[in-house]
Amino acid sequence: MTHDLNRRTLLKAALGSAGLSALGSLPAFAQDARIRLYWWGSKERADRTLKAVSLYQERNPSVKIDGETLAWGDYWPRLATQAAGRNAPDLIQMDYRYVAEYARRGALMPLDEFLGKSLDIGDFDKASLDSCKVDGKLYGINIGNNSNALIYNKAAFQKAGVAEPIDVTWDKFFELAAAVTKAHNGEYYGTSDASAEEVAFENWLRQRGKALYTEDGKLGLNEKDAADWFAMWAKARETKACPPADLQALDKNNIETNLLTQGRAACAFNHSNQYVGYQVLNKNPLGITMYPQGAGPNPGHYLKPSMMWSIYARSKVAEPAVKFANFTVKDVDGAKLLGVERGVPASPKIREAVAAELDAQGKLVVDFISHVTPKVGPIPPAPPKGAGEIQTMLRRISEQVGFGRLSTADGGKQYVSEAQAILSRA
Amino acid sequence: MTTTAQIPLTISEPEKRSRPRGGLSRTLVSYSFLAPWLIGFLGLTLGPTLASLYLSFTNFDLLQDPQFIGTANYERIVTNDVKFWHSMQVTFAYVVMAVPLKLAFALGLAMVLNRGIAGLPLYRALFYLPSLLGASVAIAVLWRQLFAKDGLVNVALALFGIDGPSWISDPNYSLYTLVLLSIWQFGSPMIIFLAGLRQIPPDVYEAASIDGATKVQQFVKITLPLLTPVIFFNGIVQTIDAFKAFTPAFIISEGTGGPIDSTLFYTLYLYQEGFAYFRMGYASALAWILLIIIACFTAFSFLTSRYWVHYND
Repeated sequence: MTHDLNRRTLLKAALGSAGLSALGSLPAFAQDARIRLYWWGSKERADRTLKAVSLYQERNPSVKIDGETLAWGDYWPRLATQAAGRNAPDLIQMDYRYVAEYARRGALMPLDEFLGKSLDIGDFDKASLDSCKVDGKLYGINIGNNSNALIYNKAAFQKAGVAEPIDVTWDKFFELAAAVTKAHNGEYYGTSDASAEEVAFENWLRQRGKALYTEDGKLGLNEKDAADWFAMWAKARETKACPPADLQALDKNNIETNLLTQGRAACAFNHSNQYVGYQVLNKNPLGITMYPQGAGPNPGHYLKPSMMWSIYARSKVAEPAVKFANFTVKDVDGAKLLGVERGVPASPKIREAVAAELDAQGKLVVDFISHVTPKVGPIPPAPPKGAGEIQTMLRRISEQVGFGRLSTADGGKQYVSEAQAILSRA
Repeated sequence: MTTTAQIPLTISEPEKRSRPRGGLSRTLVSYSFLAPWLIGFLGLTLGPTLASLYLSFTNFDLLQDPQFIGTANYERIVTNDVKFWHSMQVTFAYVVMAVPLKLAFALGLAMVLNRGIAGLPLYRALFYLPSLLGASVAIAVLWRQLFAKDGLVNVALALFGIDGPSWISDPNYSLYTLVLLSIWQFGSPMIIFLAGLRQIPPDVYEAASIDGATKVQQFVKITLPLLTPVIFFNGIVQTIDAFKAFTPAFIISEGTGGPIDSTLFYTLYLYQEGFAYFRMGYASALAWILLIIIACFTAFSFLTSRYWVHYND
């Protein structure tokens, strides 16, 4: 019996000490600022970010920064879950698509009070600042600007003996693409099918004076607009400028599975800062240019923050976090470590300093942004609630049209009716 | 069981008085050993499950506090949600195809392995391997290489002059590639079947073959009936698993359920609603409906089991 009791006491003691040690592992010693930093992106981005972090920690020994990184798809569910648990990271890499949703739901801290103090971004141009504002308050720090960009395989066009698709109209673009397909005996296509890509759809809509959404968050297009878009790509499928639907469906909306990277098509519709990521995965030298143009004078392109830094509303280390963010966009050393991988810096002084030390690919991106800047239109309003769902829906309808399950006209009707249902529910 | 139950009857008076203390200490010890599991179950399973029951009656966007809206979520699901019915259809099609095929395949291989071939542990391990790999990113890549337009499967078909479609990205076939993936991971039911087959006494077969029963007759009259408890167990476990299947579709369609929602499993739809579109209340309601469906299905299986499951006792 005594023996048994001893064993029991032992067990209790063991459990007790296990509990104590669990308590001890809590971060109880907080005389220093400990910042949780959260971003999405490739390994390249992680390497650059961590270099900036270690330089900053070297200079500010009292600050400790813990980085967390995920791929885009996993990033948002996790952020939402952490915010629900009131445990989101302090410094959050934010996207233009989501900033309004998070800010209006009270998850982000307005940064106006830091302006001119720990946040020294007075030399940002108005557009670079305004694009990070929601309802008149600043919720983000612009890390870099980008714009829509057509990324293409130069060799494929050369082999076909046709001109590269630089600043061409849509008609001309599909003509060139069909010629590329023909020159490759139909085994390699001139362009990927971008009818499911919302960025391309939006650019094309703006060219015809429409938009995805209006200022007040309503749908900015009608059935005919969407139907014409589907019809344009249906024709491209017919002329074999772009691949059939079952091939296109292998594209899972990321750089790795894009048909350009997969060696099946010569053009990808994307953003300028992603050029660097595409070139890493492509053996052939890639070109970067604007999307095909419309007949009218309306510009499809606009400059937008490719991403921004935001501060979690409940962060206890907001001030130190803002200081680190400032370091990455206004300190020459910090900004150089990030390069243009997150877009082209908004501060003119920093832009110059960074551009001076770029590699050839980085220079191409900067040159592209300089080329586009005089041709852009205003940035569209932040998308309304439900926009993410509509983006997914566009992909489904584009596939339904591609597989011949919907006519292009019905595709247009379906897009509008589903989008309106989603908007009215959100 | 029977022996321990008899002990108290033979216990003498003094010992009986000391029992509660000994029993209490025993109980304490056993609970402390159970504690890791209990804490996990209460904190990580039961707690969140009950929380989700409450959330299913609310409008909850994760960032703001949930607002109580009564049964509105459930009403919308049954009356006004095309995707709910569609994902239900996809999931049922998957369950109906994947479970019987997987069980048949597992049983077939278990019977082959049960013939006492040399190197049995090696084969057993090899056949179990796919189940260990689970639905990982590597499997998604492998599946794409196999079932894409110019994948291995079509290369093989081309030898017979068949021009196959792009199985994995064609909405007419993509669900079948996921069914195949599930069948391929037949390891755990196979191991259980193998153990079940070992339990059948060989003299029964001997007697049957002396009486002139063919192999087919032996299978139908001896193996199957004696194996019904194992089939029942495997069937329940695999069905529940299939209803809950999430990762294969998530990984292979990269979370979209595409092409054209052809692989939009119920759980994937639930995930999209909750985590992609911030409708956690609605997603919780979807989860409870799935729970009820699985519970009904399991209850039905148990109720009917007495008519076809033969326990060997």
